[in-house]
Amino acid sequence: MKKTGLILLPLLVAMLAFSGPAFAHFQLIHTEESALAKGEEVNLKLVFTHPFEAGHTMDMETPLEFGVVHKEKKKDLMGKLTPIMFESLTNEGKAYEAFYKLRGMGDYLFYVVPEPYYEGSEDVYIQQITKVILNVAGAPTDWDAEIGLPVEIIPLDKPYGLWAGNVFRGIVKRKGKPVPYCEIEVEYLNHDIVGNKFSKKEKVKAPQDAFVTLTIKANKDGEFTFGIPRAGWWGFAALGAGGDLTHEGKELSQDAVIWVQAKEMK
Amino acid sequence: MRRIGVVLTACMVLGFFLMLPVSRVFGHTPLCSCWDNGDGTITCEGGFSDGSSGTGIAVRVIDKNDEKVLIAGKMDEDSEFTFNNPGVPYKVHYDAGPGHLVEIDGDDITE
Repeated sequence: MKKTGLILLPLLVAMLAFSGPAFAHFQLIHTEESALAKGEEVNLKLVFTHPFEAGHTMDMETPLEFGVVHKEKKKDLMGKLTPIMFESLTNEGKAYEAFYKLRGMGDYLFYVVPEPYYEGSEDVYIQQITKVILNVAGAPTDWDAEIGLPVEIIPLDKPYGLWAGNVFRGIVKRKGKPVPYCEIEVEYLNHDIVGNKFSKKEKVKAPQDAFVTLTIKANKDGEFTFGIPRAGWWGFAALGAGGDLTHEGKELSQDAVIWVQAKEMK
Repeated sequence: MRRIGVVLTACMVLGFFLMLPVSRVFGHTPLCSCWDNGDGTITCEGGFSDGSSGTGIAVRVIDKNDEKVLIAGKMDEDSEFTFNNPGVPYKVHYDAGPGHLVEIDGDDITE
């Protein structure tokens, strides 16, 4: 009996350790403001983290691609990336930042194709191909452009021109074709990013775990709609939009991510 | 009497088509943004809130002290207008027609 207890105890501990809520991984391209009055230098932080909880931040390798599209012209910005350490509420992770001067009116569509990240607890690789769209002076140019990423969320509403209470709609695409019934995780950036860390102060409390990572699904045409309940940054991750893929002999979840910013109507 | 009716109808149709380009511009907000190129020149870019170009729209650089027009021109094919910094306090007018004027203070124009 005593022997059985000795065997069961480590098992129980292991079960408890792994049975905690598994919140969503989100690749961020974070900046303060998406709708700028005039051109200025912006700071962009590339962080792979858990935005609602300001939780565990994963180490990023050097991305495969990082760039910007402005007025239909694509520009490689890999040379502008600088490694940083980003502090979550629980750890520190390798991340990147870049400074970029926005000059001239219109949309600036920043994108990153990260190196696949090995998630040991799930024994899978995760690659979140992410976009964020900034605008200068209100002139729309590229916000709804499809820029030819392997997986991509094409916005149907301007991602920088949203009031809290609006809906945000998008189409999940794989190589230009809609992905039907794709599962989409939605998370709120619940802690401000100050310097290279999360602020300790949370904006809202989730009444239950289902409210930390919200899950919605695209329809048969790959379209989804989400009502934005609160001002701030919202991330949408279309899970496995890339289909059945493998990386180094293991499953690869290639997700399409977009970040949108809603403003309070006051 | 019938002829007058025909003439009137023709005038109305003509008037409708003449108003079309005006309503296109008036339906959208004019937008303008300027920056200092750091070489003694300033570039302004114009457009409209629906993404349409500001090519051909009038631009004036005005002396803030006496309201005199220092430089007058139009947005080029790239919807831009570049001018030498006048060296006096100035403002820029992007003039898309009555009620559709964007004014930018030279003090707000930075590199």
